[in-house]
Amino acid sequence: MNLKAIKGETDMGERGKSILSEGLERAPSRIDEVPEERVIRALLDNFPSTVTDFKTLKKGVIRAKMERRELYKCCKFLRDHLGFEHLSMISAVEYDNRFEIVYHISCYGSCLLLELITSTPKDDPSVDSVSSVWGGANWQERESFDLMGIKFNNHPRLERILLPKDYLYHPLRKDFKGGD
Amino acid sequence: MWINMGPQHPMTHGLWNLRIKVDGETITDAEPEVGYLHRGIEKLCEGKTYTQIIPMTDRLCYGSSLTWSHLYCLTVEDLMGVEVPERAEYIRVAAIEMQRIASHLMWLAAYAADLGAMIGFIYTMRDREIFIDLLQALTGSRITYNYPRIGGVAHDVPPDFERDSLRACDYMEKKLVEYEDLFDGSKVFMMRNVGVGKFRKEDAMNLGVTGPPLRASGVNYDLRKDMPYSVYPELDFEACTHPDGDCYARYRVRMDEMFESCKIIRQAIQKMPKGKWRIVAPRNAPSGTGLGRVEDPRGEGMMYVVGDGTDKPYRLKIRSPIFVTVSAAKKMLVGYKVADVVAIMGGLDMCIGEADR
Amino acid sequence: MKADPADPSMGNVLAFRSKDFLKWADNVLEGILRRSPIGTGIDLITKDFFNWATRNSIYPLHFGIMCCALEMAVASAPRFDAQRFGVIYRSTPRQCDVLLVNGPVSKKMKPALRRLYDQMPGPKWVIAMGECAISGGPFYNSYSVVPGVDQFIPVDIYIPGCPARPEALIDGFIKLQKIIKDNKKGLLTGK
Repeated sequence: MNLKAIKGETDMGERGKSILSEGLERAPSRIDEVPEERVIRALLDNFPSTVTDFKTLKKGVIRAKMERRELYKCCKFLRDHLGFEHLSMISAVEYDNRFEIVYHISCYGSCLLLELITSTPKDDPSVDSVSSVWGGANWQERESFDLMGIKFNNHPRLERILLPKDYLYHPLRKDFKGGD
Repeated sequence: MWINMGPQHPMTHGLWNLRIKVDGETITDAEPEVGYLHRGIEKLCEGKTYTQIIPMTDRLCYGSSLTWSHLYCLTVEDLMGVEVPERAEYIRVAAIEMQRIASHLMWLAAYAADLGAMIGFIYTMRDREIFIDLLQALTGSRITYNYPRIGGVAHDVPPDFERDSLRACDYMEKKLVEYEDLFDGSKVFMMRNVGVGKFRKEDAMNLGVTGPPLRASGVNYDLRKDMPYSVYPELDFEACTHPDGDCYARYRVRMDEMFESCKIIRQAIQKMPKGKWRIVAPRNAPSGTGLGRVEDPRGEGMMYVVGDGTDKPYRLKIRSPIFVTVSAAKKMLVGYKVADVVAIMGGLDMCIGEADR
Repeated sequence: MKADPADPSMGNVLAFRSKDFLKWADNVLEGILRRSPIGTGIDLITKDFFNWATRNSIYPLHFGIMCCALEMAVASAPRFDAQRFGVIYRSTPRQCDVLLVNGPVSKKMKPALRRLYDQMPGPKWVIAMGECAISGGPFYNSYSVVPGVDQFIPVDIYIPGCPARPEALIDGFIKLQKIIKDNKKGLLTGK
C-alpha cells in the first residue's frame, strides 16, 4: 500500500496564491504579495461605498462589514473573480436594534477565510439569498429562517427544516418564551 | 412515486428521512428530511455558563464527541484570549486522533454490516474497544467524555498511558492491513463500491461538502494542514486524497486517514513536554466574537460565539458538516439504483446528532 | 356455538364460501380451545415452555436515536455480546417484541414513535434506555423535547445512565426476562 500512488492530482493552483481573474488591475505594490491584502484591495476597488470596516483577525482570517443591498453582487464577485469557492457558515445574531447575518466564506486556493457581516433593521429582517451562487447556502438559509425568522429573497424553497412544518414561532429570538 | 426511507430504517444510521422518487429501480429524485432529533441546543446554551456547555457539546456528534468539545474550547479561548499550555495541546491532539480512529472504525463497522460483510462489523467493533478503553482510562467515560476545559484539559494522563497508546498504534497498523485485504479482496464489496455515487470536484466545492467526501473527489484540502490549529504545524503527516470521487474513494480516504492518525498519535505522545495541563480561564468573557474551526472526522466543523461581558454566551452558532453534506444527497443519488442508496449514503458517515442540534 | 341467523349458509358445511368457512372454523376452534376445559388443559402443559421460549428470544427493533444507540450497537459487538441472551435485532416493527427507546424524543418524532409502537403486535414491552428517554435528560427544559417517553407510551424497564453502559443494557434485558417469567400467561386462554 503506497500512499503517494493513491493520492490524486488536483488543479487548484499553487498554494499561497489567490486566484484572480485576468480583467482585474493589480496595484504595483509589495503589500499585494500578502493574500489578505489582495482580497481587501479587490473588494475596495469594486464595492467602494458598501464594503467597509476591514480587519485582519488573525493569519488568514479577514472581517468586513457590508450593506445588504449589494450582497448578491459581492458574493458573485467573490466566487467568480477572487476564487472563494466554499461557503462555510451562515449565522444570524439578534441584537437590540438590528439583526446581523454573518457569512463565513473560504478560499481553498489561498487558504483564506472571509467573515462578511450584514445588518438588517429589526422590523424588516430580509436579505437576498446566495443559494444560486453557492449551493451549500440552501439549507443554511432555511435553518436561519426556521430558527431566527430571517427571510431570504429569491430562495428556491424557504420552508422550515428542523422544526415541524406547522410550528408557529422562531425559537432563537430573544423574546421567545417557551412557546407551544 | 415518493418512497420514505426512515425515520426508522435499519440502514440510515441516525434519525432522518430520505424520500426518493423512483422509476422502476432507478432513482430520479431525492429529498432528505432532517429535524427529528432537534433538541434546541443553541437556545439551551444561552442559559448556561461557559463551562456548563462543555457536556452539551459532547452530545452534538456522539460518534466523535471529543472533537466537538475541543472545538468549543478553541472558540471560547479565541473569544477570551486564553493561551493553553503546551502539554495540554499535545494531550488534546493525541486524544482527538484516537477519537478519529474510533469514529472511523465505527463507520466501517456500520458500512460493512450494511453491505452484507457482517465480519467487518465484528472485527472493527472488537478493535474499536481498544481505543475506547484508552479514552476511558484518560477521561473516565466511553463516549461522551466531558474532558477538554477552557484553558486546557480536565486532568493529566494516567500512568502507563504512553506505553499503552504506542502498543495500540502498533496493533492497529497491523490490523488495518488485514482489513484492506478483507475488503479489497472481496468481489462483492468492490462491485458495490467502485463506480457508484460519483461526485464531481466542482459540485463538491460548490455544495459545501467537506471532509472525506471532498478529499475523495480530488480536492486537497485538510484543515489540519491548510489552516492549522493547536500543535498540528509541528507534526508530520499527509492529507489523504483520491481522484475518483466514488464510494470506493471515500472508503480509501478514511482507511488512509486511520494510518495517518496512528502516525500523529505516536509523534504527539513522544513529543509531549512536561508541565501544566490546565490554566484557569476567567469566568466572564469579554464582549466580542470568537471563531473556531476544526477538521472533524466528518468534515469541517465551526463554531461562532458572541460574548457580552457576562458568564453566559449571548449566541452560539454551530456549523455541522453533515447538515450541509446531506443536502447534496440529490446530486449523488440521481441515476443510481435503490440498492446503491446504502453504499452512497453510508459512505457519507452520517451522524444526525450534529445535523439537527 | 350459536348459528348466525343472518348467514344463510350457516349449518350447511358443504355449501360454504371460503370466507364464511374460515369464519366458522375460527368460531369452532375458539370455542374448543379458549372457552372449554381442553384449552385450559393445553395451556397448563405448555405454559412454561412457551414462556421460556418468549423470554429467551427477545427481539428488539433496529431503532437508534442518539448516543445510547451506540452503546446498543456495542452491546451486540464481540465484547459484550447480547446475542447469547437471545437478543437479535429485527428491522421491522411487525416482527419485534421490544421497543428500545434510546434517546430524546423530539416533538417532530413523537407521532412516528407512537406509530411504531402501535405497529408492534402483542405481547410487547418497552425499555427506556438512558436519561433522555426516562425524563428528557440534559434537554429536559428544551422547547422541542418531550420530557420522558412514558408521557405517551407505557414503559416497562428504565435503564439509567448517560450514556447507559452496555452492561447496564444487558442487565435491563435480564430484568425484562424476569418480568416475563413472573407474569406467566397461557397463550391460548390468556390466564
